[in-house]
Amino acid sequence: MAIRVNPKIIDDLEGYGAEDVQLCYHCGNCSAVCPHADEFNVFPRRPMRYLQMGLERKLETSLEPWLCYYCGQCSDQCPRGAEPGETMMSLRRWLISRYDITGIARLFFKSTKVELAAVIIVALLTGIFFLGFGLWQGDINVYDGSNAFLPSSFIHNFDLALGFLVALFIGLSAFRFWWFSMGGKSAVPIPWWLYIKKVYLLPWHFFTQKRFADCEKETTRRIYLPWLAHLGLMLGYVTMLFIVMVFVKQLQAGPEINWSVHVFGYLASLGLLIGAVYMLRGRLKKNRTQYQRSHGSDWIFLVLLFIIALTGVTQHILHRSGLLLAANIVYIVHLMVVVPWLLRMPFTKWAHMFLRPLGMYFSAVRNEALTRQRSGIETTVPARKVA
Amino acid sequence: MESRECKIGVYICNCGTNIAKVVDCEAVREYISELPQVAIARTYKYMCSNPGQELIIQDIKEQGLDRVVVAACSPRMHERTFRAALQTAGLNPYMFEMANIREQCSWVHDDPQAATEKAKALTQAAVFRVAYHEALEQMMVDMCPNTLVIGAGIAGLTAALELADAGQKVYLLDKQDHLGGNLARVDLTAPYLDSARDLLTERITRVKTSDNIELLLNSRLQELKGYVGNFSATLVSVDSDDTEENKAQKIEVGNVIVCTGYKEFPAERVTHFGYGKLPNVITSFDFEKMLRAGRIECKDGEIPNYVAIIHCVGSRSPEYHGYCSRVCCMTALKYVHEIKSAIPSCYVSDLYIDMHAFGKGHEDFYRRTSEVKTMFLMFGKGDHPIIRSAGPKDDCQMLIEVNEQLSGEVIEIPADLVILMVGMEAREDATETARLVNISQDKDGWFIESHPKLDPVATTTDGIYIAGTCVAPKDIPDTVAQARAAAGRILAKIAKGKIAVDAIYAEINEDSCSGCRICNELCPYSAIEFDDEKKRSHVLSVMCKACGACVAACPSGAIKGRHFTDQQMFAQIEGVLR
Repeated sequence: MAIRVNPKIIDDLEGYGAEDVQLCYHCGNCSAVCPHADEFNVFPRRPMRYLQMGLERKLETSLEPWLCYYCGQCSDQCPRGAEPGETMMSLRRWLISRYDITGIARLFFKSTKVELAAVIIVALLTGIFFLGFGLWQGDINVYDGSNAFLPSSFIHNFDLALGFLVALFIGLSAFRFWWFSMGGKSAVPIPWWLYIKKVYLLPWHFFTQKRFADCEKETTRRIYLPWLAHLGLMLGYVTMLFIVMVFVKQLQAGPEINWSVHVFGYLASLGLLIGAVYMLRGRLKKNRTQYQRSHGSDWIFLVLLFIIALTGVTQHILHRSGLLLAANIVYIVHLMVVVPWLLRMPFTKWAHMFLRPLGMYFSAVRNEALTRQRSGIETTVPARKVA
Repeated sequence: MESRECKIGVYICNCGTNIAKVVDCEAVREYISELPQVAIARTYKYMCSNPGQELIIQDIKEQGLDRVVVAACSPRMHERTFRAALQTAGLNPYMFEMANIREQCSWVHDDPQAATEKAKALTQAAVFRVAYHEALEQMMVDMCPNTLVIGAGIAGLTAALELADAGQKVYLLDKQDHLGGNLARVDLTAPYLDSARDLLTERITRVKTSDNIELLLNSRLQELKGYVGNFSATLVSVDSDDTEENKAQKIEVGNVIVCTGYKEFPAERVTHFGYGKLPNVITSFDFEKMLRAGRIECKDGEIPNYVAIIHCVGSRSPEYHGYCSRVCCMTALKYVHEIKSAIPSCYVSDLYIDMHAFGKGHEDFYRRTSEVKTMFLMFGKGDHPIIRSAGPKDDCQMLIEVNEQLSGEVIEIPADLVILMVGMEAREDATETARLVNISQDKDGWFIESHPKLDPVATTTDGIYIAGTCVAPKDIPDTVAQARAAAGRILAKIAKGKIAVDAIYAEINEDSCSGCRICNELCPYSAIEFDDEKKRSHVLSVMCKACGACVAACPSGAIKGRHFTDQQMFAQIEGVLR
């Protein structure tokens, strides 16, 4: 049965950053140079072809964009300037908006102005809410303990509620991701036990980003800095998210430093600041292939993250210095950025933190299913030992 | 065999190692030098080099040689070189014979001993033959400076102007009632998107106002008699039949340029695209008409949202034409640009087998067509897309199913308008034209060049030149280049005033001729005329190509091939056999 093409998809993707995909004439250099392309995953060429031809279903069910960390070697090798790396990046944005059930992601990716307006509105509402709440129930000159301007127990509950909301949408997107690529829309029958066999890959890819380092494995001059910066930023972020969610009371207590918690905070802040500065500098100077083009969403992501880290560190210093009024004001600014940041997580670039390791895990499962199918091994039940 | 008194010099070439690595040249030399008429025999590394030729010239002068044999490569390669050397030394150039011991020995044999024996035999044959060579003189004939140009397309117009600008008289003939040929049916041209009309208008105005060009529209060639430099052409109106001789116009010309062009492949021959049945499946020429009218639309007057272009219709297929028509790929890309500029919201898909973007500026043009988001789809050679009408729910008129090669997917694309890129084919009257001017056609009906690479505008008939798309499909730059080349060749001949005719031709001994006229019909070059008064045939030596057909056929033995006499042939055979 012939698949109906949608010639309009290529126009749609332009809004997500894929501006040059039409130039590709399928020499395959990009896929030859990509250290992650294999017999099952011929990318970037295949997704680029699907995109040119408007094979929407094929793109939607594709895992290949998630196997890429955008090292940029493909774009460097492209004889036509079709920017395969950028196309993969754009496809990830497009996929995030496809997985998202609310339509917010599409709105944000298509218009940076809309995203920015949403961020500002949420920030202002947050600011008004916390300022009002603080003035109503506390003293602006008290940072922690009883009568605190923003009591840590309240913040803790607020964080948990926010976390639940974000987890809900991320979970929904992740489920749709699975449904598109592995479940109902997939043509490959996958035995359930393969999911268990390969589950270790999920934390592995999440915490090491080993495949980003592997991008360099066939180059003569290996550059691990982008990987380290990316890893530092991500680990810093995850650590911070965790301690804020769980130990916000210990964090806010003071003035003495609670090393068992704070040491993680310091390390995480360091990772966040260095990572964000490295990437912002790269995008400003356009010093690497992957930094040549920046989508509006990339800027919002990095700038907000940088402000969060900066205000977090500042309020901590102000608190320990006894400048409590200033610490509380910076705290409000901090919350004004954190709340919109967290709320937009499932609908923006940030989602790739979960979706990429998930994609790599799915891909490993699917590859093995395909290998077994090809070699004629039973795919539904594990082979039983002959007594 | 009687031996003739002569002093022959024999030169055996090593051709670097081309000959010497298989043939023992020294052994050949030793063997040949034993022959009684051989005054001197030498071997040399490269006979064709200046020192090699100098060796021959010196020996002729010092040793008083009267005949020369060179055993080397094919005479097609260097016969002229060595004949010129003989002439320099004061010897008649026809007192020369070449033995081919490279193509016929060293390049084709592995066994050195057998190859050497064969080289000895071939060289000996040349020695025996050259002993009977006679001094021959080239003939000079007068040259009529007028030229007949058949076909007034871009090639004919260009050639006519080139000749007229040089002050020569041109008769420009066309069957149609207007100038411009096929190009007059085209809108823009690839890859620079210049208007075809602009290209033509300037030429046509100049042709019409030129004093040296006589336009003969609505006319055709009825008969061409004579030979290079002295043709007599009979021209008639296209409506008249051959019997109305009173309307015929006779002109005298020295040369003829045939640039009769092509005709488009008839799309109705390909049934699977539904041309003629589906209203919105049209050919590239139908589309040109639309473009020239300034409105791209479907049959019902609607503006199309989806246009599909299908390449290689009638070309590169074993069923129709095996060859590539060369211009369709770039024309298709041109359509994309024209469609996108007229209807920016239109989606254009381009279905090709291979994209042939070989010319100057073409690859760049291909890239620019990618930039405007053309959906390029590749289908397999031997396969073809299938077009069907769309259903009421679809937002398009037709759906095209393609087994797409670059993705490996079978897909279905929407289309409101389908353009079939029809190729070029030889005109129906090409056979008639070829017969009239005495040139040949290849299996596809295209006219054959004298040499496809080295002599592309000349034909096997002297004075008849071919240019443009009557030779093979080609684009405008190539056509114009050929037209100018043909005109240039003719101008060079006119400048000489007289033309040299090869001294090798057939001669009829009128005393022995019985007037049976067998040779008249046999001659492939129409070079034999029958004298009704004398009741004898005679050869028009300028037209004779010395093929020897008449010599062999003459029942009275009255015809002699100059430079291929019985004596020379028998001596050569004896040389091989001895």
